Amino acid sequence: MKPKPELPGRTSRGDWLAPGLAVAALALLAGFISLPLLSLVIWTVSEGSWRAMASPVALDALLLSARTTAVTMTIILVVGTPAALVLARAEFPGKRLVNTLVDIPAVLPPSAAGIALLLAFGRMGLLGEYLRVFGIELSFTTAAVVIAELFVASHFYVRQATVGFERIDRDVEAAAMVDGASRFKVFSKITIPLAFPALVAGAVTSWARALGEFGGTIIFAGSFRGVTQTMPLAIYGTLESDFDAAVALSVLVLGFSFVIILTARFFTRRIEERAG
Amino acid sequence: MEVARGKLSVTSLLFLLLIGSTFGLTGCGGDSESGGTSQTTSETQENSGTLTVLAASSLTDAFGELATTFQEQNPGTKVITSFGGSSELLTQIEQGAPADVFASADEDKMDTAVQDDLANEPQTFVRNRPVIIVPKDNLAGIHGLQDLTKSGTKLVLAQDGVPIAEYAKKILANANSEYGGDFEQQVMNNIVSREANVRTSANRVSLGEADATFVYITDVTPDIEDQVEVIEIPEDLNVTATYPIAALKEASNPELAQKWIDLILSDEGQRLLEEYGFERVS
Repeated sequence: MKPKPELPGRTSRGDWLAPGLAVAALALLAGFISLPLLSLVIWTVSEGSWRAMASPVALDALLLSARTTAVTMTIILVVGTPAALVLARAEFPGKRLVNTLVDIPAVLPPSAAGIALLLAFGRMGLLGEYLRVFGIELSFTTAAVVIAELFVASHFYVRQATVGFERIDRDVEAAAMVDGASRFKVFSKITIPLAFPALVAGAVTSWARALGEFGGTIIFAGSFRGVTQTMPLAIYGTLESDFDAAVALSVLVLGFSFVIILTARFFTRRIEERAG
Repeated sequence: MEVARGKLSVTSLLFLLLIGSTFGLTGCGGDSESGGTSQTTSETQENSGTLTVLAASSLTDAFGELATTFQEQNPGTKVITSFGGSSELLTQIEQGAPADVFASADEDKMDTAVQDDLANEPQTFVRNRPVIIVPKDNLAGIHGLQDLTKSGTKLVLAQDGVPIAEYAKKILANANSEYGGDFEQQVMNNIVSREANVRTSANRVSLGEADATFVYITDVTPDIEDQVEVIEIPEDLNVTATYPIAALKEASNPELAQKWIDLILSDEGQRLLEEYGFERVS
């Protein structure tokens, strides 16, 4: 390519080609994502499989997914927020190791996570063997579903929250402290609101990961209606006996995800508007 | 900086340890057929034809060996076997999966395939015997079918529609007359998980996670026979599992499909299936 002494802004081939290609790439991506989603909806409409959405299997699975992910998210928020703050602010020996540990579940295939969980918390597991002495058995329980979700999902919140906390200008906090605000007040009135968009984004990604959890759950928690059969497991389970129902369940979970994402967007926007 | 380097090496050591343990533990976690459908591909030098066989997961080991035999007898062919619960395989066929032969663990799934005009005339090729397996240490103290009602027993069963689950329900219904009217219900109340197929159920027990499950006698493979104990079901309550095989209507290679069925029904094929614990029909 020879540099041309042309005035910027003048229309030449290269000027529209690059953005054109970029737009085409975006269109390709959007089409690629929307086609399967559209297919789900079209099949549901044309095969009239709406009724399967109201089936007991679907409702039990949806309720279980809502319940387990709610518990998972509560634990992640309560434990993950202070943990992220420490990762963002403190320097301590072994920090790098902890950082790596937090990242591992994100790259580990969930099925491998399931086997790892089984060998740790299962009946014959490293810890499970001792838990059994106290009459605690986790496999095949709803608690096992939450553990699997926690294991695979916590990373996404903790990582984004850490980045969010790191970006905060600490002078603002220091100023508030000088004005006599307590440590807790600074945290709740300044630190959290400033990091809020990052926290919400992290929580949504984390929640989505928990909702989609399949491999770890089916290996570690098993699959039983109302106890461990979450939406992804119900989809897999009905796939064999009733394809229409599997499609309907997929549409249901798609709608459910949409509502959550839109709600999260709405809140983030309101917070951002209020902030600036 | 020295401190940091020290930390880094601890990090990498732990990481390696984690990776190592993940792989190592996966290895002892059970046979490779544990998760859903598994595929085995074997190849010979020339590649004149490919035969795709969908077979019940209980046939995993026997059909694996038969595939090798078939390829030796028909140089240049390649057999692709895909194992899973017969109901799962039926769904795949209904959804247009490209396959030549279907071998089901019950007549129900095959009948559906025939009725939907997906399979040709089926032939019964082996029979099998449902049994109960428990872990070697048998913590729940299960010594017979009637013990499955013991409260707190963690029972797993393949999901509805999978042949072994259908057979188990028939056995439990038979047992109602012997052990009392709500025997079946009491056993079903002890189920803690519904598994994808008979082999995943067997794994739950061999790992000691579950107290008992229904499998076929052929599922007690050398892989797990040291970890489980077989409990026979009283003969008058048991049912016989009947396995039909058929070429599929959409077979891309009907000739090879027929050759495969011929091998299965031949004396050689039958003898091999018998070695794996199946009951031969011819």
